[in-house]
Amino acid sequence: MDDPVLTVSRLRVVLARNGERHRVLDEISFAVAPGEILAVVGESGAGKSTLGAAIQGLLPSDAAPEVSGSIRLTGLEIVGSPPHLLRSARRLLVRAVPQDPMGALNPTMTIRRQLHESADCDEALILESLRRAGLSDERRIAGAHPHRLSGGERQRVLIAMAMMARPKLLIADEPTTALDVTTQAQLLQIVRDLAREEQTAIIYITHDLNVAAAVADRVMVLFGGRMAEIGSLRQVARNPRHPYSANLFAARYDLDTDRSRPLPTHRAAFRHDETSDRGCGYFLRCQIARSDCSSIRPRERRVQAHSGLVACHRSDEMPLAILPVAAPRDAWAGEEVTAGPVALELMDVHKRFLADRERVWERRRLIPALRGVNLSIALGQSVAVVGESGSGKSTLLKIAAGLVAADSGRVSCLDPRPQVIFQDPVSALTPWLPIGEQIGERLRPHVTSAAERRRRVGETLQSVGLDPSLMHALPSELSVGQCQRAIVARAVVVPPKLLLCDEPISAMDVPLAAATLNLLNDLRRRLGLAMLFVTHDLAAARIIADRIIVLNKGEVVEEFEANMLQSPSRGAVTRALIEACPSLDAMIAG
Amino acid sequence: MAFYLAKRACGLAIVLMVMSFIVFLLQSVIPSDPARAIAGPYAPSSTIETVRQELGLNDPIAVQYGQFLMRVSAGDLGKSVRTRQPVSNDLLRYLPATLELISVATILAMGLAFGLTLLLLGGARSQALRHVFIALGSTPIILSAVLLAYVFWFRLAWLPGSGRLQFRDFVGTTGFYVIDGLLAGRPEVSVDALAHLALPATAVALPFAVAVVRSLAGSLHDVMRQPYIQTARGKGLSEAAVVLRHGLRNAASAPLAMTGLQMRLLFGNLLVVESVFGWPGLGLYMTQSFATADLPAILGVSIVFGTIYVLVSIAVELAQSLTDPRIEL
Repeated sequence: MDDPVLTVSRLRVVLARNGERHRVLDEISFAVAPGEILAVVGESGAGKSTLGAAIQGLLPSDAAPEVSGSIRLTGLEIVGSPPHLLRSARRLLVRAVPQDPMGALNPTMTIRRQLHESADCDEALILESLRRAGLSDERRIAGAHPHRLSGGERQRVLIAMAMMARPKLLIADEPTTALDVTTQAQLLQIVRDLAREEQTAIIYITHDLNVAAAVADRVMVLFGGRMAEIGSLRQVARNPRHPYSANLFAARYDLDTDRSRPLPTHRAAFRHDETSDRGCGYFLRCQIARSDCSSIRPRERRVQAHSGLVACHRSDEMPLAILPVAAPRDAWAGEEVTAGPVALELMDVHKRFLADRERVWERRRLIPALRGVNLSIALGQSVAVVGESGSGKSTLLKIAAGLVAADSGRVSCLDPRPQVIFQDPVSALTPWLPIGEQIGERLRPHVTSAAERRRRVGETLQSVGLDPSLMHALPSELSVGQCQRAIVARAVVVPPKLLLCDEPISAMDVPLAAATLNLLNDLRRRLGLAMLFVTHDLAAARIIADRIIVLNKGEVVEEFEANMLQSPSRGAVTRALIEACPSLDAMIAG
Repeated sequence: MAFYLAKRACGLAIVLMVMSFIVFLLQSVIPSDPARAIAGPYAPSSTIETVRQELGLNDPIAVQYGQFLMRVSAGDLGKSVRTRQPVSNDLLRYLPATLELISVATILAMGLAFGLTLLLLGGARSQALRHVFIALGSTPIILSAVLLAYVFWFRLAWLPGSGRLQFRDFVGTTGFYVIDGLLAGRPEVSVDALAHLALPATAVALPFAVAVVRSLAGSLHDVMRQPYIQTARGKGLSEAAVVLRHGLRNAASAPLAMTGLQMRLLFGNLLVVESVFGWPGLGLYMTQSFATADLPAILGVSIVFGTIYVLVSIAVELAQSLTDPRIEL
């Protein structure tokens, strides 16, 4: 084996957050060889992104980082190096592709100038890097400002920016989270090619195990800032030796998951997981914990089952302990949805938007977003709308919500005020109001007594799986998953007839997404809501919906029962979407 | 762009109309009789009545306003009651002095703002500097102007504190003495004009600069936490390049808007500063006109200030759209 590009040993990072110091990374050790792709997986807050920032020497100075241990990048020590050495390491050795393509490009500089800064290069190299990143009209892109580009184009620009510097190590921090499946599949191919052709070592941070399977050779599972397990992805997926990774791999869902019953989930994250020096970090959530798990920290050790390392006292007993992966998983009651009255009906809906001007004197063109869409959802029914970005999904949802008016066509909605659940749960809550108050606000017109309102809020919180005592908590005191539940509670405290969901799970890790899907599925069955679920994730659409509608360029190209997603009679657009979905199972089998 | 300029020109016209209407209303509301002011305090009532007829003061308000607009649009702003000169002549006489003061003060303010920003970026985040900022930013201009005059003129006698020039005989062609001195080949005149400018310009520039720096520092603080700054750092750029190339331009919008706002406050400040330093400009002219209820003069100065303000806000919007391509005019 070649000398590793990156060797991390006993890395510890302590960061200050809200005045408290947290150990974000705790004794992490691993190495990455040239041309190898290492996936780093784990739930939000596991320290994945901090690891990336630490390797670049770019930990936020606000957080007063304390770093110990060692990060060696082709022989150069990063920890404790003076700023000018770190700068040249970033210039020549390590580059990153960030998570949010919308914010990661300077809005006031043309793409050409931003690329020009990235490496000593001429115009030809700039254009060629853009082309290699899959942008065919590279001249237009190079001359444009970022706000003229789509999310996928921006992410490709960022990859071009990183590639043109020919780094030894590339850190990709959830680069495809914000993109649709088709674009994601193309970007994953580019990343794989980069590793193979340029022998670039790649650290691929993701919360999506299916994506990790599509791209990576090895996987490192992080939990609470510690390494739980590391090894060949295929071996770990087949035979996880740490209870956390076992849960993680069991909680995933894909196009073949049983949709007649709730998804398997595991115990929800605690608000403040204790990561004491002593004991195993996973102790509180572990189903097979013993008494010594709380007092002796498990060291990483080799296991028989695969060639990697595991930090668990009981890793050898894992196959014996059958994981009680979820509470009883009975099939959903009332599977046969009785078609009630129509809750939402769109007939021949058209919508066009004004395009941006290319030049000041040009007239603004109209771009069609929806072209004659028909859609009807009965009470108690759930319909998913899927499609690539730009297919008109979000416009459709906004029209249904009454946030945007259709140009022509008829929109009739049983509910004058349908409730919407947005993608980012944290920013959809007012930060300075306790969540109980935000939920209770919707009761004000109906319930005048404050005590009665409190009671109803408590009940609703309970029904979405939150402790009623959390009604006095501020959003910042809740985890992301709890915030999403609070938003669902806000939507259903006065049960609406129509619930609209705009990509509510696309930024969540697998267990959280699974729990959210279960919650929504449960509520709509119990309360008999009509639900419109907009997503680019076919697997989620299939699980949550009775019917799936495929949009393409503003038109409904196909509509079918969710069970029939994989039927051979599906049209080309749907098949392309299906093929673009990465699948871990396929990788394990293959 | 052409559409934008046309739109703003209409805006300017509307602003001037409204302003003229307000001043006109004032004229008819305040208990001061222009006819008596013109005819003199001891004129017999018949004379006053004649003057009233001449001035059209007995016509209905709407007719008076119409005639007034006709005159104003023909460039006739009326006669100043105090100086007995056509207001337009007075304006032309005092405008250069004020423009010179505004220009020098703006340049000084920008220089100060830039220097202070560099100081802040250079890591001088000490508490002391912050206190100095708050003190400077909250000193009323009347106090800082008087203090400047007291310390540097009366006490230290480093700088002159009254008037524009010590050369009584000098007559310039443009009215901007700094430039006139150079044109006439008398550099000592320019130097003297600059010395006279120093104190009033500083008094005007200080609150201006402090406001701009505070808004720039605030917006830079936010910008430096944006993901694209992290991207720029990830390219291995030096911190100076990150701040100057990626930070400042994205942070420019708020301080530019603040510059526009400060321009408006600046007119008020000019009244104070020109009075304190005996600066023969529009501010002093206006202060004196207030004292005699000289409404034609007040209207004339208001129109000039209003026009400058609208022009400045157009310039600010143009600058904002130049710095940020996402802003369309």
